[in-house]
Amino acid sequence: MSSDAGAPLLEVEDLVTRYPVSRGLMGTIAGRPRLNVHAADGISFSLRSGEMLAIVGESGCGKTTTAQTVMRMIEPDGGRIRFRGSDITTLSHRQMRPLRRQMQLIYQDPYESLDPRFRVGDTVEEPLIIHGEGGTKDGRDKLVREALERAGLSPSELYVERYPHELSGGQRQRVAIAASLVLNPSLLVADEPVSMLDVSVRAGILDLLAGLRRAGLGILMITHDLSTAAHYADRIAVMYLGRIVEIGSAKEVVRRPQHPYTRALVSVVPSRDPRTGPRPQLLKGETPNAVHIPPGCRFHPRCPQAIEECKSVDPQLRPAGGEGQEAACILVGHNEHLDAEGGGPGAPTATAPGRI
Amino acid sequence: MSTRGPVLRVEDLHVWFDLPGGELHAVQGVSFELHAGERLGLVGESGCGKTTSILACIGLLPPNASVAGRVYLNDRDILEGGESTVAPHRWKDVAMVFQGAMNAFNPVKRIGDQIAEPMELHRTAKGRAARTRVVELFEMVGIAPERVDRYPHEFSGGMRQRAAIAMALACNPQVLLADEPTTALDVMVQAQILELLVQLSEELGLALVLVTHDLPVVAQTCGRAAVMYAGRMVEDGATTDLYHDPKHPYTRLLFSATPDLYAQEHIVSIPGVPPRLDRDIVGCPFQPRCDRAFAPCPTIAPPFVTVAPRHAAACHLNDVALERTQ
Ligand SMILES: Nc1ncnc2c1ncn2[C@@H]1O[C@H](COP(=O)(O)OP(=O)(O)OP(=O)(O)O)[C@@H](O)[C@H]1O
Ligand SMILES: [Mg+2]
Repeated sequence: MSSDAGAPLLEVEDLVTRYPVSRGLMGTIAGRPRLNVHAADGISFSLRSGEMLAIVGESGCGKTTTAQTVMRMIEPDGGRIRFRGSDITTLSHRQMRPLRRQMQLIYQDPYESLDPRFRVGDTVEEPLIIHGEGGTKDGRDKLVREALERAGLSPSELYVERYPHELSGGQRQRVAIAASLVLNPSLLVADEPVSMLDVSVRAGILDLLAGLRRAGLGILMITHDLSTAAHYADRIAVMYLGRIVEIGSAKEVVRRPQHPYTRALVSVVPSRDPRTGPRPQLLKGETPNAVHIPPGCRFHPRCPQAIEECKSVDPQLRPAGGEGQEAACILVGHNEHLDAEGGGPGAPTATAPGRI
Repeated sequence: MSTRGPVLRVEDLHVWFDLPGGELHAVQGVSFELHAGERLGLVGESGCGKTTSILACIGLLPPNASVAGRVYLNDRDILEGGESTVAPHRWKDVAMVFQGAMNAFNPVKRIGDQIAEPMELHRTAKGRAARTRVVELFEMVGIAPERVDRYPHEFSGGMRQRAAIAMALACNPQVLLADEPTTALDVMVQAQILELLVQLSEELGLALVLVTHDLPVVAQTCGRAAVMYAGRMVEDGATTDLYHDPKHPYTRLLFSATPDLYAQEHIVSIPGVPPRLDRDIVGCPFQPRCDRAFAPCPTIAPPFVTVAPRHAAACHLNDVALERTQ
């Protein structure tokens, strides 16, 4: 494998993942086969080592599909996934095997992701056994203890013998994280890692992820919670109906959102301070399902700023706002929220035109 | 505020659940009051007894529960005679939107018919009158009236939650207990539902108890909030006071554990876990996790008392403060 110095850890280009609409699930449209849910519909982003990128969006926008496709748990229908510079899009199951240990997924529900019959030590040891790592039992035990400590379960002796039901929710999530750290991965994909946890313990898990990122891991965090993303991620990508509509540094995206959807989303996030009343800009309706994607800009039917052109032009991401910030809106650059620093000659170029 | 007394007054409410291994003291002396048109947020971590407390208020606890305490509706204790004194007020005066209600509709029945059912059951309306009322309710909660004959799967999540609210409003209650009404919803839909609840409380003078673990939701929706911990009230006051001048360390720590789009400070978790409710709790229940615990905390349970105008808390730090100011 090529040296990864310089190359991003993960590059995703124009990723498309469709699910056929099953007749059983959507009885109303039975009899009209060959409909697809365009869960990921042209997703591009990259992630460096030592960076946390949060993909934010409402349910059904395709964030989990994107994460699972990147992990090669779901087959993409188009696009490219490069891991440490090499294309993994079409690698076979067997070819993927050595790579799997480098890319680990953390699930949302720490209650479901742990086997209740397994002691903590066994759960964390399991990946080592599967991948034939760690040598002897003693060697594996040492790695298990290290992983537990890294996940904040310290001293590890206190935890190895316990069963999941003897742990709090936050501790269970730490065990799941330890199990994904034991193989020393370079990429962690965390799908809503704290949404099932009480707010009082969330910060601990998020700090843990932030620390791992500082130690050099690349972290892709999927979340519906913009406040969490703003606090912990380096960059935020906002998804709407299978597309990234805005991406940029976490601060810029929440402080100076460029896309009308991001602006609306930011405006409805409640503040914990009763005096910081945001003025919610309520969008009508709910995100439509990704079966019938509106023509032109997919957000135009709900967009408070839509103009005639939005019905026909499918906007691509292009520089807008702060450095490295991009938005997929033809109006970007035509509104007062912008200033001169974005989009200058030194700004990174947007994705090549003509993508579908 | 009106000179009339509270619509709802809960006094020293206790709930015990009978469990195979013993008894779980889920609610350990909860008190609060609620005025017409007021919106009270009831907040706290999972398992602190929020749902149990409000279920007790309308006599809907499961058979393995026993209750003590008083729940006054317009100055009459409705728990006094058990089911016989609560039942006449349930839905008619005090209604509830259950946790997860939006997913509890019967999938094979039309939404409109399901909303009419309780009305017929309580004989507030039937037949054509019930249907007229359903249409009225739909308009009230922002669902197009022509959707009365649709089935639950034809409604989006937000629409089903509106329908669940409509169902609770069917008999024109004075008090609405809404249990986590936006928890499963996306933030945009959440904002729409919260706007609806605010509008209902303002237009109908409905008193609202908004139960949630989400502090920002309460901060933006309710004038007052009550914070529960381990089955008890730890603080009750204006939401601005709770945020800017908390009188209980748990409230302060809960706010600092909550990420905020508009704040920069580091978010910190609260170490430890809440105490078990199937054992007696000695001293302050929060003491093992508290960063300000001192001499009396491990042994003496702090009483829930008024510590400032319209502000109550259960923390020994306030005794010290009171002594100093005296
Ligand atoms: N039917 C029951 N039988 C036994 N124990 C119960 C029952 N219902 C609730 N409990 C227990 O009572 C306590 C309070 O539960 P409750 O559901 O009121 O909490 P909550 O604050 O609403 O939590 P959440 O935020 O998770 O909804 C918990 O310890 C719970 O396990
Ligand atoms: Mg509850």
